[in-house]
Amino acid sequence: MLSTIAIESLKRRKATAILTLLSITISISLLLCVDIIRSQVKTSFTRTVSGVDLIVGAPSGQLNLLLSSVFNIGTPTKGIEYKSIAALQSNKQVSWLIPLSLGDTHRGFRVVGTTNSFFDHFKYGDMQSLQLSDGATFTQPLSTVVGADIAESLGYEVGDKIIISHGLGSVSFNNHDDHPFTISGILDKTGTPVDKAVYVTLQGLEEAHTGPKHSPTSMLGRKSADKANEHDHDEHTEEHAAYNSEAFTPESVSVVMLGLKHRVTALQLQYQINQSKKEPLMAILPGMALAELWQIMGNVESLLLGLSGLIVICALIGLATMLLATMRERYQEIAVLRTIGAGPFTLLLLIQIEAMLLTIVSAALSLGLVAGLMSALKPWLSSTYGLFLSSPLFGQSSVTIILLILGCTYLVSLFPAVAAYKRGLHAGLNANS
Amino acid sequence: MNTINKNNSTHSQRKALIEECNPAIEVSNLQFSYTKESPPVIDIKAWQVSQGEHVFLSGPSGSGKSTLLNLLCGTLTPTQGDIALLAQPFSALSNRQRDKFRARNIGVVFQQFNLIPYLSVAQNINAAVYFANTNVGKTAADAKLRDLLDKLQLPSHVLHAKADALSIGQQQRVAIARALINDPQLLIVDEPTSALDTDARDSFMSLLKDVAGESTMIFVSHDKAMESYFDRHCSIKELSLSTNHIKTLGDNVPKAQERA
Repeated sequence: MLSTIAIESLKRRKATAILTLLSITISISLLLCVDIIRSQVKTSFTRTVSGVDLIVGAPSGQLNLLLSSVFNIGTPTKGIEYKSIAALQSNKQVSWLIPLSLGDTHRGFRVVGTTNSFFDHFKYGDMQSLQLSDGATFTQPLSTVVGADIAESLGYEVGDKIIISHGLGSVSFNNHDDHPFTISGILDKTGTPVDKAVYVTLQGLEEAHTGPKHSPTSMLGRKSADKANEHDHDEHTEEHAAYNSEAFTPESVSVVMLGLKHRVTALQLQYQINQSKKEPLMAILPGMALAELWQIMGNVESLLLGLSGLIVICALIGLATMLLATMRERYQEIAVLRTIGAGPFTLLLLIQIEAMLLTIVSAALSLGLVAGLMSALKPWLSSTYGLFLSSPLFGQSSVTIILLILGCTYLVSLFPAVAAYKRGLHAGLNANS
Repeated sequence: MNTINKNNSTHSQRKALIEECNPAIEVSNLQFSYTKESPPVIDIKAWQVSQGEHVFLSGPSGSGKSTLLNLLCGTLTPTQGDIALLAQPFSALSNRQRDKFRARNIGVVFQQFNLIPYLSVAQNINAAVYFANTNVGKTAADAKLRDLLDKLQLPSHVLHAKADALSIGQQQRVAIARALINDPQLLIVDEPTSALDTDARDSFMSLLKDVAGESTMIFVSHDKAMESYFDRHCSIKELSLSTNHIKTLGDNVPKAQERA
């Protein structure tokens, strides 16, 4: 009966109830959106790189090194000389090494010079290897492998030729027109910055900048070549045999990613590299750097979450105001309910049921709205911001948020409920007399 | 005239029955003021109403009729004195006990009928059953509701109509049905005929007397012409002035009977 009275009462105040409902729905949706984006960004963030034990570059700061090497953001650091790379390669603790040469672009997308070891050893998410959706890894010096987003947005297919540009701007006047790269493979979607990068051979990249160069022997190839028969990328084993990208000796590279035989030695090796006197180098632990970066972003995220929380509180105060404002016209009906036997606590409950009903309906609408919105924005979020929404969209935090909002509704609805509770029966009954 | 004759023929039987019964309402040293500083609006030394008695309470506007009804309903608390209803110390009960007592034993018909406008007729009446919490089964409650609607000559289709969609006459009858649905022993009726013409008023009173049955009824109006429908007439002014006078049915015979 109480819920019937509450529903009928809300239906009577349709206009104000709908406006209040809208205001709460929008604010809960906003809060849920911020929470979802936050958790999805965090998931996206932590899945960008895995299995890489150390990232080594010129001393420039932990975040700069991480951003330029993993996220393809910012200016790459000064290069590492080949002798240092060779020293790292020969280190007994090192299992594999991925050289990365940064600084060029293709139609706004970052170009990364590397070797086939990148496709063999780089992992993302939960130690997932890179997979090719089409073609093969580097098959010749001017081979390129493009990320899924690039292939999709620029309509590239295996065999297409692309020109890379010098520098990091989206528009460049310094194109390496005489060194077109042929797409040998297209990577599967990963939901990481890999999807938005063009991978070219170190040899091709250096030739594009300095002209052809021959290097008969290379330390880069040693460990990878040793492992060529071990790794599980059967589909491009033949191409490895035809073209060994690791055999090329670059003058320098921007960053080197290292995989260690034993992860426990990472700190020790990091210390050794950081103390190196031959060439000043900086080694970072990707996990720690990601945590530091997330901590910085976490503050912004907390601020956004706090602001959204405040908006919800405002909407709930609006709800209490609406209920309080309607109390004046309801005193008579409240008095009648009391006369026919409804106790003060029943009336308190009645007002709270009304408030709870509005919030529950708003929460349900918000869940639907946010799910629809996220589904509609999914392609845009992934293409524009590289944010890949993974299931489930609503997690523990969404449930907590909704429970907290219901708790807040209970608290703010106490104001009108207590007003109804306290209101004298006599005044209500004689309001119209 | 028919009503008056009917009243005359049954009056002596009712009187005998009523005098045997315990009082339904007992008021002693009752005082009520709206503020501490203001003089009492109600000041009654003693007053009794027997069970089954139908009392007409009159007085000019502002004389305290509604205040007395509110005190009897428990919607106002006496500043001083006691009210006993149906042998229960009503004014000494806690708020909760008073709410429960009122829901189960007192039916109220207001001047403005005070139906909840957004509820249907059935919901308005069933709300009284729900809050009285008398453990009456749904079937029994439905049967009682239909019986009351029949007696009140309300067509069954109005059950689902919203209260504010009814005519004044229908609202009046729904208000009576709501007041009587829990078979209250005490019926308090506050000026429900003030907006009616003479014919409509007579028709309403016949209906009310018929459905009220053996319930004790206090009927408030400033229209003294209506006292002929009741066992006894009390003036609120006299009640307040007659400091230790206990009025019963025998003390105040309806004028219509005296004339007869």
